[in-house]
Amino acid sequence: MHHLLISPITFLKRDARHFQIIFLATFLLYGIMALQWDAEWQRYALLFCTCLAVQASFIRWKGLPWHSLKSAAVTGLGMSLLLKAGSPYTLVFGAAVAIASKFLLRVKGRHVFNPGNLGIAAAVLLTGDAWVSPGQWGSGATLVFLVGAAGCMVVLRVGRIDTSLAFLATFALLDYARNVLYLGWGADVWMHRMSNGSLLLFTFFMITDPMTTPRSNKARIAWSMGIAFLAFVLSTRFWINATPIWALLVFCALNPVLDHLFNGRAFHWIAPLPPMPLQPTNEQTISRP
Amino acid sequence: MRTLLLLTALGAALRAAAFCGFYVAKADASLFNDRSEVILVRDGQRSIITMSNDFQGNVRDFAMVVPVPVLLRQQDIRIVERRVFDQLDAYGAPRLVEYYDDNPCHPPVMYESMSEMDMTTSTSMRSMARQEREAKNLGVTIEARYAVGEYDILILSATESTGLKQWLLQNGYKVPDSAHEVLDPYIKSNLKFFVVKVDLDRLTQTGSTLLRPIQIRFESPKFMLPIRLGMANSKGSQDMIVHAFTRTGRVECVNYRTTKVPTDRNVPLFIKNGFGAFYKDLFARAHRREGQNTVFLEYAWNVTPSFNGMKCDPCVGPPPMPREFAEAGVDWGGFNGGGAIFYTRMHVRYSRDKFPQDLVFQVTPNTEHFQARYVLTHPATGDLSCAEGQEYLEGLYYRRQRELQEMNALAGWDMAKRQYYVNEVRDRLAPERRNGLDVTAVPDGGDDGPPAPPRLPIALLWAAGLMLLALIGSALLGAARPKLA
Repeated sequence: MHHLLISPITFLKRDARHFQIIFLATFLLYGIMALQWDAEWQRYALLFCTCLAVQASFIRWKGLPWHSLKSAAVTGLGMSLLLKAGSPYTLVFGAAVAIASKFLLRVKGRHVFNPGNLGIAAAVLLTGDAWVSPGQWGSGATLVFLVGAAGCMVVLRVGRIDTSLAFLATFALLDYARNVLYLGWGADVWMHRMSNGSLLLFTFFMITDPMTTPRSNKARIAWSMGIAFLAFVLSTRFWINATPIWALLVFCALNPVLDHLFNGRAFHWIAPLPPMPLQPTNEQTISRP
Repeated sequence: MRTLLLLTALGAALRAAAFCGFYVAKADASLFNDRSEVILVRDGQRSIITMSNDFQGNVRDFAMVVPVPVLLRQQDIRIVERRVFDQLDAYGAPRLVEYYDDNPCHPPVMYESMSEMDMTTSTSMRSMARQEREAKNLGVTIEARYAVGEYDILILSATESTGLKQWLLQNGYKVPDSAHEVLDPYIKSNLKFFVVKVDLDRLTQTGSTLLRPIQIRFESPKFMLPIRLGMANSKGSQDMIVHAFTRTGRVECVNYRTTKVPTDRNVPLFIKNGFGAFYKDLFARAHRREGQNTVFLEYAWNVTPSFNGMKCDPCVGPPPMPREFAEAGVDWGGFNGGGAIFYTRMHVRYSRDKFPQDLVFQVTPNTEHFQARYVLTHPATGDLSCAEGQEYLEGLYYRRQRELQEMNALAGWDMAKRQYYVNEVRDRLAPERRNGLDVTAVPDGGDDGPPAPPRLPIALLWAAGLMLLALIGSALLGAARPKLA
């Protein structure tokens, strides 16, 4: 009885995915209505419903709890914000790959890939009919504030603020070092690059998926920094666009291996600083036979 | 009168062109920089860039510096005829389409025609080219020296901007003080500098006084247009039209938004006489509304010669043919099925503060067609005194109100000043109908021409911001509330 009378706030706070869904839907509406994105709304609905339908099929098949539909909703909205395609079937394909990968590509009981990320990559690489428009949000201080504030609310709840910040800080530092310190562009060039809406969305709403980030805190930070580094190298050396998406794909693929290695090594790396006490020279001499 | 003045202004602006962004003035020529045109062909890692050159001064003052990613060979540089730009411009420019109403009192006659926006440009120049001087070594290396057509071309590389700047100054180029903030990053990015001057003797031999467009081709993953150099010595904004050709689909900007200009709007008939001025104001408004930092899409179409679909609707100029493609640098495609050709026309108005970065593009598989199209509807002619005719005129009255409102929203033109447009319909109504018209629909006076207030995005941003604040607030309140065990 008591449970039926919870306030909307309590309900919202019960699951971080509620906030994700609200924010992502707001961004999507903003993109369609204010930024006049190309595709008509039916396409987004199709992508979204495909995600839900595939998830529902697996829920039935595997007998999983129905609340996991929310994850599919988050994936569907996240993909809608990034993925563009010529044919609606491409969107269906991307969405199906995204959700199915959660159930079919599993290692040690955990799915390997970030579903939205894999769905986008599969659609872009395999169909040749899909693309990502990194410029579709534009750049600006307002975007930084809005996406940042919304993003922080969500990632704080899922405990992945370290992932976001490690990624963004590393990427921003590398970019600053190259563009401002080395090449000599003005700081406004760097600001323009860093306030790109797609980059911020990626930072707060894609890379932070708690299901596909390494479990250990330290490993996770190193992992995010690795993604930032790879994304930076791909964009500056090879002039590839939307590089964080490709970098995340690579790092997710390495996840099962890296998770294991990082966890294993993390214990060794905890004390990479030289051990403080160097006095026991005497003890060493004493213990010598 | 006002309209006429605006039209003249548009003509002047279009003729004063230059390839914006790329010029460095020589001596005291004041040659900046209202509009430039570029053809951008992208095929895999290959870029073919053609820069149109409407230079309007003394040719001896003509000089151009373009940063390029690789050291170009002589065979990578060629001269093309200006005609290809005119044809592409005529084909892809925003268009008016006219429809004719039937007379409800008489049997219908249907036809349709279109008129083309007058965007043609003319060039005129004469005079002498200056002998090229030897470069001094200031960390500047002359990597290559070519004579192509009427142009003398140097490919420079430099180790630091001061030397390059000094070299340019010593050779008579007018380099703005702020140029080093752009030259340095280009030098460190290993870009070469493609420096062009005119050789007068050879220009005379061509039998033409026109400077023809220069086309360069190179292989590089960099798919971009360097606009920063041209902004170093220009405080205002500059316009650039980009005609892009790919095998797969639309070209879009990666580091700025690419948005469509408003299209398929019904506008008043008198727009026909001043469509250039109208579109100019429309563009200025759209530019402001979108925050002055977007790239506008004006046209996108599959122009493969063997493509059987409609080439345009309506066509304001003949679709490009294999000859034009070859001239533009599209070296695939043709009637024999050498591959698809997709054409994208973009229009960007950029300024230093809103466009800090050079334009970076990407090729997408997006093949959706788009055109900037404005619709005129001619009223029925003849006697309209029958009941249906009066009904029609009443509808026409309100339709013209809407057309005026559309005109005002798009271009900011004053509706009250053009009230005659609806009044002439009202006057044809019988008195009893005339008195029954809804006078509240009569528009008020308003701005005459651009500035448009930036509307929707800002409003929505605020709405989103407020929603966020509310959420954050409620979450904090929720967290502060004591919890029951």
